[in-house]
Amino acid sequence: MNPRFDSSRFVAALAALVFVATACGSTGSGTPSASKGTLTVAGFNFPESSILAEIYGQALAHDGYTINYKLLLGNREVVAPALESGQIDLYPGYAATDLEYYNKSAGEANGDATATTAKLNSHLQPLGLTALTPSAAVDQNAFAVTTATQKKYNLSKLSDLAPIGGQLTLGAGPECPTRPFCQPGLKTTYGITFKAFKPLDTDGPLTRAAFKNGSIDVGLVFSSDGDLNSLGLVVLQDDKHLENADNVVPILRQAAASAEVTNVLNAIDGKLTTADLLTMNSQVSLQHQDADAVATAWLQQHNYSS
Amino acid sequence: MTVLSTVVKWFADPAHWSGPDGIPNRLVEHVQISAESVVIGALIALPIGIALGHYGRFGNLAINISNVGRALPSFGLLVIAFQVFGLGNLPILVALVALAIPPMVTNSYVGLREVDPDVKEAARGMGYRELAQLVRVELPLAVPLVMAGIRTSAVQVVATATLAALIAGGGFGRYVIDGFAQQDYTKLFAGAVLVAALAMATELSLSGVEQLLVPRGIRLLQARVVQRATTFKTA
Repeated sequence: MNPRFDSSRFVAALAALVFVATACGSTGSGTPSASKGTLTVAGFNFPESSILAEIYGQALAHDGYTINYKLLLGNREVVAPALESGQIDLYPGYAATDLEYYNKSAGEANGDATATTAKLNSHLQPLGLTALTPSAAVDQNAFAVTTATQKKYNLSKLSDLAPIGGQLTLGAGPECPTRPFCQPGLKTTYGITFKAFKPLDTDGPLTRAAFKNGSIDVGLVFSSDGDLNSLGLVVLQDDKHLENADNVVPILRQAAASAEVTNVLNAIDGKLTTADLLTMNSQVSLQHQDADAVATAWLQQHNYSS
Repeated sequence: MTVLSTVVKWFADPAHWSGPDGIPNRLVEHVQISAESVVIGALIALPIGIALGHYGRFGNLAINISNVGRALPSFGLLVIAFQVFGLGNLPILVALVALAIPPMVTNSYVGLREVDPDVKEAARGMGYRELAQLVRVELPLAVPLVMAGIRTSAVQVVATATLAALIAGGGFGRYVIDGFAQQDYTKLFAGAVLVAALAMATELSLSGVEQLLVPRGIRLLQARVVQRATTFKTA
């Protein structure tokens, strides 16, 4: 019939073979061969994911594994099935978002990274997948103010906004007034009622322009955005855990999760911080450095000399 | 039917008729930005179209330029203007004025061109100076076409002002954009109905204005023969 269909099946079969070999390689510790096995690391179609995939991949390569990269593979709807089918072995996930993907948006994620990851693992287990220990680095919805506003009211966390919310204008995507993580959540969890709400976009150019011309005081951003520092924006700490814990967490096939691989990845996650993400994102998106070079630099800083 | 009834309920809810996100305020915002755009557009387009039509020169140039203008996508212009001017009403105004100009240039040019040369000769022969001839003879005769241009522009502008909500502006577009983002399709539908109603109201009221401006002679020419005869008798 369709020759393309046949060839894609052939590729999939071939890939499956490779991964069987991979699984054997990674479990057979102490083999005298130069490579401890081959692992395929994938990333989502945005720069931060490429950086994280490179960090994981290069650290594993440093440990003696042969790494294939499938960066910018696609969104979660593409990457997760590729992991389930064994076309890839590992991708840098985000605890809450991945949980809500695997549980089909059951709303189980919360602000606690450990609990969210445990829930995630309960959904991954039957699929032959596993999520490791979540990192402290987090890429989630966050509310930012300008450094001027921060100094004026002496702000550091979202609770600080409760007494002065009536003087401030909130800016976010038009859906904010109906989303639990946004305006309603700020009201119920923190008791913040804003003077006004300005419908803009979710962490896009409108929000940035509105900060610039002063038409909003508080805006919705993502906590690891590379341009926050250069725009003079400060993220307020989510001290009551309104936002779901989208901590960076490696998700991999159980067959690939040998003790050694787990140790290497956990060591990385133990060192990675949100500030690191922010810096590396700005190096890639603002200074146009390559993700692999940025990852190498981070690893070298943390004593993974190649 | 269920969609219609929820939309009717939406309109019946008094909460949607007050406050900054209420229909009256959104109507004022929508009409204001549209009116500003059409007026500014007319101030630019009508003198150009009228002058070119009166002198009968560079007509092809004018029509070609305004046809290119018609091909410019408003959304694209809006995004570029936003990059240049930042947040506020100015980028919306730029995009809408650019949209308003072409039909008015083309129609006023054609309107002035179509004035019977014999009438112009006669006006000259009766001692009209050039300006008087333009204002008192040519323009009144060109009113139907000039007004048609203004009407086309205004309706397009009212419909397109919906885009303002994409860059945080007000107007009825707010309901469409917010409704979409909030998956509140009743609100979205209500917004679309409001925009359509306002566009039709614009069309109707401007044709009313046109009726008032068209000289009686032309009106009678366009009327049916019987009516024409009786009117001449009573007049």
